[in-house]
Amino acid sequence: MKWAGLLVLGFLLVLIYWLVDPATSSYFPACPFHSLTGLQCPGCGSQRAVHHLLNVDFRAAVEQNMLLVFSIPYVIFGMVLDRIPNPSERLHHWKRTFYGRKAIFLVLILICLFWIFRNL
Amino acid sequence: MKQYYYSDGLSTHGPFSLEELRAKKLSRNSMVRIDSSEKWLPAEQFPELEGSFGEETFARPDSFGSQTDYEPMPKTWFVESILVTVFCCLPFGIAGIVNAARVETSHRLGDYAGARRSSEEAGKWTKIGFWIAVGGLVIYLSFLAVAVAFDQF
Repeated sequence: MKWAGLLVLGFLLVLIYWLVDPATSSYFPACPFHSLTGLQCPGCGSQRAVHHLLNVDFRAAVEQNMLLVFSIPYVIFGMVLDRIPNPSERLHHWKRTFYGRKAIFLVLILICLFWIFRNL
Repeated sequence: MKQYYYSDGLSTHGPFSLEELRAKKLSRNSMVRIDSSEKWLPAEQFPELEGSFGEETFARPDSFGSQTDYEPMPKTWFVESILVTVFCCLPFGIAGIVNAARVETSHRLGDYAGARRSSEEAGKWTKIGFWIAVGGLVIYLSFLAVAVAFDQF
């Protein structure tokens, strides 16, 4: 039931974000951090980026939120790796390399750098 | 830092840090080598491994459950918290990522209880972020629907 609800919601969202560009409409929720400070957080532009991704315009999506565009393949790969039963030694190695402790710290640093530099 | 490899007689496992290798509870006669040397030596000839030896059997870290005190790493929630960070709730996402790092650190040190606690913590923040996003959207969309409906008439 919960998953059916989420599925319907997800389908609706894809439809909305595919058809409407959040940049041209005032009906979309704004980022509270941006509203308060006027600065952009690492997630700002995600709605616009998703709209462009759904319309297969990668360049426009990267312009709106680079972090989101690059994190999607990374996240999908990580989720797939997580769900493979009885992973081989090589998959273990990949997991340790790309999603291990060092990778986590690197991602944290990248998010913070992105946060700072997109406001400069 | 020195990297260690050990052999279970069939295949080589590694590289491991000293702490990881100690957590494997090798037997005294398991063959071990360090990365700077090609020479295999019995584990008991490494003074830094003293006190970490287990029972007679070989440690088989890759077949989970065959060893009583080794636990596989609990879910770190790392990638899920990245999603929460970029899509919705930055503070919750960051809390998730930091706890994901804690899971790795504790597990590496052999502190399995600590790793489980951090995993629960990471999952908690990630789920809070996720449900705030979903709940917020549902509330937002219903307000919007009402507003649009009133606009029509």
